[in-house]
Amino acid sequence: MTDEKAGKVLEVIMEFANIGAGSAATALSSLMDVELMNEVTSCNILPMSKVSDWLGGADKIVAGTYTYLCGDLKSGILVVLPKKSAATLLEHLTKEKVDLAALTEIQKSALKEVGNICLCWYLIAVSKMIDIDMIPAPPDATVDMLGAVLDIPLATLAQKVDTVLAVHTCFKGIDEEFEGYFLMLPEESTLKLILERMAGPRG
Amino acid sequence: MSEPRTVGIGQMAVCHAPEQIVCLGLGSCVAIILYDPVARIGGVVHVLLPKSPVKCDNEEKYADTGTRKLVKEMLNHGVKKERLVAKLVGGAQMFPNLNLAIANIGRENSMTVRNVLRELMIRIVAEDLGGNRGRSAYFNTSDGHVTVKTAFEPVKVL
Repeated sequence: MTDEKAGKVLEVIMEFANIGAGSAATALSSLMDVELMNEVTSCNILPMSKVSDWLGGADKIVAGTYTYLCGDLKSGILVVLPKKSAATLLEHLTKEKVDLAALTEIQKSALKEVGNICLCWYLIAVSKMIDIDMIPAPPDATVDMLGAVLDIPLATLAQKVDTVLAVHTCFKGIDEEFEGYFLMLPEESTLKLILERMAGPRG
Repeated sequence: MSEPRTVGIGQMAVCHAPEQIVCLGLGSCVAIILYDPVARIGGVVHVLLPKSPVKCDNEEKYADTGTRKLVKEMLNHGVKKERLVAKLVGGAQMFPNLNLAIANIGRENSMTVRNVLRELMIRIVAEDLGGNRGRSAYFNTSDGHVTVKTAFEPVKVL
């Protein structure tokens, strides 16, 4: 792929992710009662070993909700919140003090459900845009080191490739201290499909 | 002491004392840590998947080929195979409720490494495998100690 063509590919994928993340942030913002601002999506093609460095370091503690799309579109997709924002979110929803080291069943379930809602809104928006149904597996959530959270998403892709395209869109509270990001890790075949559809009459 | 060497997914390192080798945020991945206490040479490979396909692009990514390559590399550095001991860290199941075959790949990684080490007749002297927690391993090649840190649990030394 020439540099020019690669640049174009990234541009299209970023537009795709912006739409998804915008929709997901709207859902999260009404759940949280805070106004959220989506920042620009950034894309990077990088070796597996560098993904967690690019996202802030493998030993950083985060709350991650992960699901995998297993229809025509194959991609890992995650919502990641830093420790502090995860605690803020759970305290807002459950109205109780939260200890991330020992989440109660209700809190764990809340974390998973919020991730689920965000991911679904992300998917509904992009699925409409390119007219492909997306079939996510039921998600799961954990609070742990970023590197550990990313192992399963990366292992899924690693069966075929050594470098991945990571699509990252962060969001931030406008008035309140709250932040996090959406991360999409599409398979190569999916990337092609997205590009085709985005270039077509619907795009 | 110099900066520790960080070994990421699908990477390998072999170092002499007193260097430190670090693997951060191991989830379902396994760090295979080999040590020759006489030569005081240590090696680590950070594997992601259990079994390599026939045509393999990156041997360090897989538990079977990665372990073998690490042993070979260490022999090139002058270690004696009879003296090598192994410590294993990682192999957790990070998303136990995920209904995908790959969710339990940590266990497969661990089993594959154990089998390969048995074949090579390398003794496993300590391991911290499985569970649902991520781990970071800090390997000191001066004494062969491996310090394992997790997000919320007390530090362990293997």
